Amino acid sequence: MSALLPTLLLSLALANSSADPPRFDVVARQADDARNENRVPEAIRLYREGTNLHPAWADGWWYLGSLFYDQDRFPEAAAAFRHLLTNSHYGGSAHAFVGLCDYETGRYDDALGQLRAWAGAGLPGTQQLRDVGFYHFALLLTRNGQFIESLALIRSMVPRVGDDPAITEAMGLASLRLRDLPENYPAELRERVWLAGKATLYAQQNPAQFARADDFAARLETRYPNQAEVHAFRAMLYGFEKKPAEAEREFREELKISPNHVPALIALGGIDLQRGDNAEGIAFARKAVAVEPGNVGAHHLLGRILLANGDLARAAGELEIAKRLAPNNPPVRFDLAMVYGKMGRTLQARAESDAYRALRRKQTRTPSADGSSQATEEEDAQ
Amino acid sequence: MIGERLLLASLAAFWLPAPIVAAQTTSPGPRQSYDQLLQAAETARTENRDGEAVRLFRRALSEQPESEEALWYLATLFYEKQQYADAQDALRQFMTLRGDAGPGWALLGICEFQLKEYSRALNHLQRAMSEGIGDRKELAKPMLYDLMVLLTRFERYDESQALLAYGEPDASLVDPAGLSGLHLPFLPKEIPADKRELVRMAGSAVLAVQAEQYEQAESGFKQLVAAYPNEPGVHFLYGAYLAQRHPEQASSEFQRELEISPFHVLARVRLAEQFIDQQDFARALNLAREAIQLDPKRASAHAFAGEALIGMGHTAEGIKELEFARTEDPTVSRVHWDLMRAYASSGRKDDARREKEEMEKLLRPESPGVPGNPSGSSHGPSGR
Repeated sequence: MSALLPTLLLSLALANSSADPPRFDVVARQADDARNENRVPEAIRLYREGTNLHPAWADGWWYLGSLFYDQDRFPEAAAAFRHLLTNSHYGGSAHAFVGLCDYETGRYDDALGQLRAWAGAGLPGTQQLRDVGFYHFALLLTRNGQFIESLALIRSMVPRVGDDPAITEAMGLASLRLRDLPENYPAELRERVWLAGKATLYAQQNPAQFARADDFAARLETRYPNQAEVHAFRAMLYGFEKKPAEAEREFREELKISPNHVPALIALGGIDLQRGDNAEGIAFARKAVAVEPGNVGAHHLLGRILLANGDLARAAGELEIAKRLAPNNPPVRFDLAMVYGKMGRTLQARAESDAYRALRRKQTRTPSADGSSQATEEEDAQ
Repeated sequence: MIGERLLLASLAAFWLPAPIVAAQTTSPGPRQSYDQLLQAAETARTENRDGEAVRLFRRALSEQPESEEALWYLATLFYEKQQYADAQDALRQFMTLRGDAGPGWALLGICEFQLKEYSRALNHLQRAMSEGIGDRKELAKPMLYDLMVLLTRFERYDESQALLAYGEPDASLVDPAGLSGLHLPFLPKEIPADKRELVRMAGSAVLAVQAEQYEQAESGFKQLVAAYPNEPGVHFLYGAYLAQRHPEQASSEFQRELEISPFHVLARVRLAEQFIDQQDFARALNLAREAIQLDPKRASAHAFAGEALIGMGHTAEGIKELEFARTEDPTVSRVHWDLMRAYASSGRKDDARREKEEMEKLLRPESPGVPGNPSGSSHGPSGR
């Protein structure tokens, strides 16, 4: 037996040093050829074999995922892309693709998490991936109740995509604060979503087409004068148009229909604060806090009104709650610095002031699609 | 929905069951196992033992994951049982293998329509149209219906109306025709209750035009206008009909539409066309430019701006507009005709010859091009 061993080892060594390339190299080349020649089933088969032979083959997982994704075979695509999430080259884009696949398979919370990770990685990928990614990211933010962030994201696509029905629908859902996806909102809401979407789309053009936006908004208001969110939407549009009196009127109309409408309460409280009607303003702010205790904007507004009233201790309390809810919100930190300053708490005032400046600097560097921005969450509430 | 069993029989016939015949031989090995499983699955399916059939088709697929037969039969079985997500899953695998199978794209699109994946459904139904579905009438009807309503929902009204010509007008098309005619981007189930009658009246009139029953159409449009004199879209639809049948009466309807819908692009375009016919080029140009401002890529607006400019003697400027229109929509023969004449009058003989060739290509019977004018009135009463 031992005499045979050198012969066996020699034959093995000869096999390894033969001119034939290893199986993996052959498969990888064949897979690339099949993909380049659009022989999709064969390419899928070969990339599968290649990634089985060499599980660390990043290009293989990438092309396998891409081929499945192009065929709308999302569970299989997600499984392939997941192998790349920690890859230094593909990782950022892989988050986007896994997020898109999760969306398509109904795993919406996971999808939002993946798209946030994509944003955190600096939104890498082609323009096409960014368009598809932004669109679905926006839909998921709407579903998550982050309507303003959602609208900001869609708005960034408008100059390139133009008057697109899918964009219109996404804008309509976010504008009417409907936490639904395009594929699952009730049929009876379709006209409202379309009219609101068109109005928002035209208001967001560059330059804004407010007259055209108003045409659709007026149709919406005429058709659905007693439905929740319609007047708040109109108010928001008037806000874009810098028509504060009309905006205030519409917010007040909204409160007649939806007395607990937090954005209307906060907006009207803010208007009251500006004109010095703090008695009504504080009532709106307190109601907003009672309806939504976790709303940053509500606590911030209440803090600002208390500050204006000279009730510094209570103002500090409300602003501290706002800070806990949204530590990265620059206006909250600014107002807190002011309150602490007035209270003589100099060190804390300086710390808040420094935090405010740092956050402002950071904000100017942050990509617009950073879905994790706390500051925009507060703006949402406002 | 059409009779599901009937459809399944038709769809199943899409696949030639050669392996099932082969299964009757008794050669050993894995192929026999696969063939026997397929045979048993098909038997279970025809005997309405659906659960058993699904299980057996899946076992066959575990033997041969790329079995087109098993994937197709499984998909049609799920479709029949209205398990659209499962059907979609099987069809996606099938389409990876058979991207040329028009019936597969059609069935996939119909499933996606049921699953409310409208954008994807539209793409796949259009793919089915381009690949062709042969003579499968049972499949053609739901496919055309879904495609028509989806094109309308995606605000592609001209293409939606063009599909009317593919099928016999019937009652199921009244709502889709009305929505498309009024430019309301809703599915029939999304029509607000208080607009159902409006849509029905509009759809009936549009279908009467399609059936060339002009007296009925005229009466329908008149009733529509009388019942809904201030409703957006109504006067434009009537005007578009009049532009075909009684052009001298159309302008007032387009103008009335602009009073109701001041940002209506197509009312401007069609009115510009009317003024060009009357050789009132200045007014035509004004309207065409307004339309361009509202919808910068609207080919027909650029085309009429070009015609008006040339009519006013500004040939070079007119050619630019016509060239833009040609780039945006190269299928309109009138634009090529205009360009041919404009190039010829500018001494650009080669360009003129090229446009003549393009026009002749479009006017051949098999061409998908739109004969006639850039407003697309040949597409139906409310064209682009």
